[in-house]
Amino acid sequence: MNPRSAAPSLAVPPRGADARDSADPKRVLADRVEQLYSQMPLGIVATLAIGGIATYELWDQRTRDLVLFWWGLVLLITAARAALYFGYRNSKNKLAEAGQWLRWLGISALAHGVNWGFAGAVFFPSHTDEQQVFLAFLLAGIASAGIPSYAASWPMFAVYAAAIVLPFAYVLATFGNRLFAEIALLVPLFYLANVGIAYRLNQVFYSGYRLRHAYGRLTEDYTTLNRRLEQQLVELDEAQRQVEASGRKLALFAERAPIAVLELDNDGRIQQMNHAAENLFGWTSNELVEKNASVKILIRPEFHAEFDEQWRQLMASRAPVAHLKIRNPRRDGLEVVCEWNVTPLVNSEGGVVGVIAQGQDITRQMEAEQLKKEFTSTLSHELRTPLTSIIGSLQLINSGVLGEVDKEVAELTGVAERNGQRLLDLINDILDIEKIESGKLTLTPELLTLDELVGESLVLNKGFAERFQVRYEPRGTLLPVQVKADRKRLLQVMTNLLSNAAKFSPPGEAVEVSMEDLGTRVRIGVHDHGPGIPENFRSRIFGRFAQADSSATRQKGGTGLGLAICKRLIELMDGRIGFTDRDGGGTVFFFELPKHGTA
Amino acid sequence: MPAQPLVRICYVEDDEDIQKIVRMTLERIGKMTVEVVSDPLQAIETIKRFKPELVMLDWMMPGMDGPTLYRKMKEVPEVRDLPVVFITAKASPKELDELRALGAAGTISKPFAPRDLPEQLRAIWKNLP
Repeated sequence: MNPRSAAPSLAVPPRGADARDSADPKRVLADRVEQLYSQMPLGIVATLAIGGIATYELWDQRTRDLVLFWWGLVLLITAARAALYFGYRNSKNKLAEAGQWLRWLGISALAHGVNWGFAGAVFFPSHTDEQQVFLAFLLAGIASAGIPSYAASWPMFAVYAAAIVLPFAYVLATFGNRLFAEIALLVPLFYLANVGIAYRLNQVFYSGYRLRHAYGRLTEDYTTLNRRLEQQLVELDEAQRQVEASGRKLALFAERAPIAVLELDNDGRIQQMNHAAENLFGWTSNELVEKNASVKILIRPEFHAEFDEQWRQLMASRAPVAHLKIRNPRRDGLEVVCEWNVTPLVNSEGGVVGVIAQGQDITRQMEAEQLKKEFTSTLSHELRTPLTSIIGSLQLINSGVLGEVDKEVAELTGVAERNGQRLLDLINDILDIEKIESGKLTLTPELLTLDELVGESLVLNKGFAERFQVRYEPRGTLLPVQVKADRKRLLQVMTNLLSNAAKFSPPGEAVEVSMEDLGTRVRIGVHDHGPGIPENFRSRIFGRFAQADSSATRQKGGTGLGLAICKRLIELMDGRIGFTDRDGGGTVFFFELPKHGTA
Repeated sequence: MPAQPLVRICYVEDDEDIQKIVRMTLERIGKMTVEVVSDPLQAIETIKRFKPELVMLDWMMPGMDGPTLYRKMKEVPEVRDLPVVFITAKASPKELDELRALGAAGTISKPFAPRDLPEQLRAIWKNLP
């Protein structure tokens, strides 16, 4: 699992430049309503207390009914306010209904104010001077007390205070007393001043709320961020553990690897090397790292200039280099041949941060290859030369030009010649397949007219067919199609297919050769009347040393390499080879070559 | 194609067995006259004396190999223009190209079938200018 895929993004929803702007107005309103309601219990208790005192102070036989009425009004309004308060407290959806609750509270404030205004307006004219002073103080206090209560909504305070002081001011103005009239003039000023204070207070409250909200949001974001960060830290920790674990694994692989592994810095200095490298070159990792040694210590001095150039190219291309064969001097002065794979380590910015060099000791392999080369050369010359003498002598005897020999002797010299020829064929086939498989076979393609080449192959192999009492015949017309191919090797393929067909055909039958134009390719078929290819042999017929049954080798000769060579030769000529069952028994071996000039 | 048929052949070869077979084949089957030289260092003298119509050179010989001997022949006016056929067991296509570039009349690869040798030589002879 990729730990990155599950990682939450650190990005947070975009924010305005000023955090205060982000405060949700609805939340702010709800908080203000909450603040206003939270003042209510105190207001209610104060109203009852002050109302009680006022009722006691204003008690007078003349106005007994009015005072009682007012007191009843106080109780009624206070009860309604209490009910409103409890209604609000029990509300389930204070946030959504904040506007509604605010309106109700506004009505309650108005009623509350009117209640006190009524007291001022009704009782001021009817009572004694002392009681008037009491009332004036009472009203001023009650009005002022509204400021903190309704600070969260200055319009509410304005309504509340207006309901108290305006009727009172009117009463004062119309009292007929000059002092009172002057006071009445001061009351609106007093009122405006109070509303101003309430307004200012309201502003302070308001920005306080907004700040509180912005802060709350910030805190929330901070908490989310923190949580994500913690999660990422956990994941990073896990990723780091995984990286470390795979690093340890890699280090272990390198350490235990049977090939030499060197870690180099950008200047080719050895940073680290594994056991295999230590064993191969005779230096310990510590020695070379402490010496700050360059990898050039493993290269003969006369090649240092060349190495520098190649290193420069490596740093520039940043591409790995494979199969670099280098003769490396060891600490003891001996040399080993190593095949190196050099890989620059490139970081995500494309810079090289080091180079890993992996070297395999191929000294023995090179020796073996040299040995094989020598062996092949020996096989091809030293073995063929005596065979030439043997086969040549026997051919001369068997040709009869030296005179008649005894019939039994002739039979034996015949056996000797055939087997000598078989041995020679085998050597030639082995050399051929070795050459093809080592990639050393070079074809010399030339423009060939196929019907001529096929005709030539029929003539060349006529003698072989006669030995098996079969004949080669063209089937239909041979086409003068041109191909670009190696003449000698194509004749070799034809000879192989023709001789196979002759070997497996019953005496007296014809082996037919056909040519078919397939458009861009031409197909040559060799049709025999043999027993067909056994089912279990079909898949490996083009393999090496493939023969349907080993007795065939003894009876018919052949090395079992012929078809393998044919397949490789035809493929080297961009063709393909195959076989099909012939209608009426027997087999058709065919090969296809691209026609010249159609590709 | 030269006017006269191919009759006189000089063969430079160190292997005595091959010498015998080739001599017998060419004389009995090909009805030719064959002079064999075992030592390549003596070859040019023998050729001068014998005056063959065609020279066959073995590729690998101790003392001097076929191509070297051929180059030496090119320096001797009496033998310079004789057609030369190389007998070789291990010529790579590159080496064969080199020989053709030197002016060799042809190559016969070892092992050759002695029976067919006279015919092969006559085919080369026919193709000469």
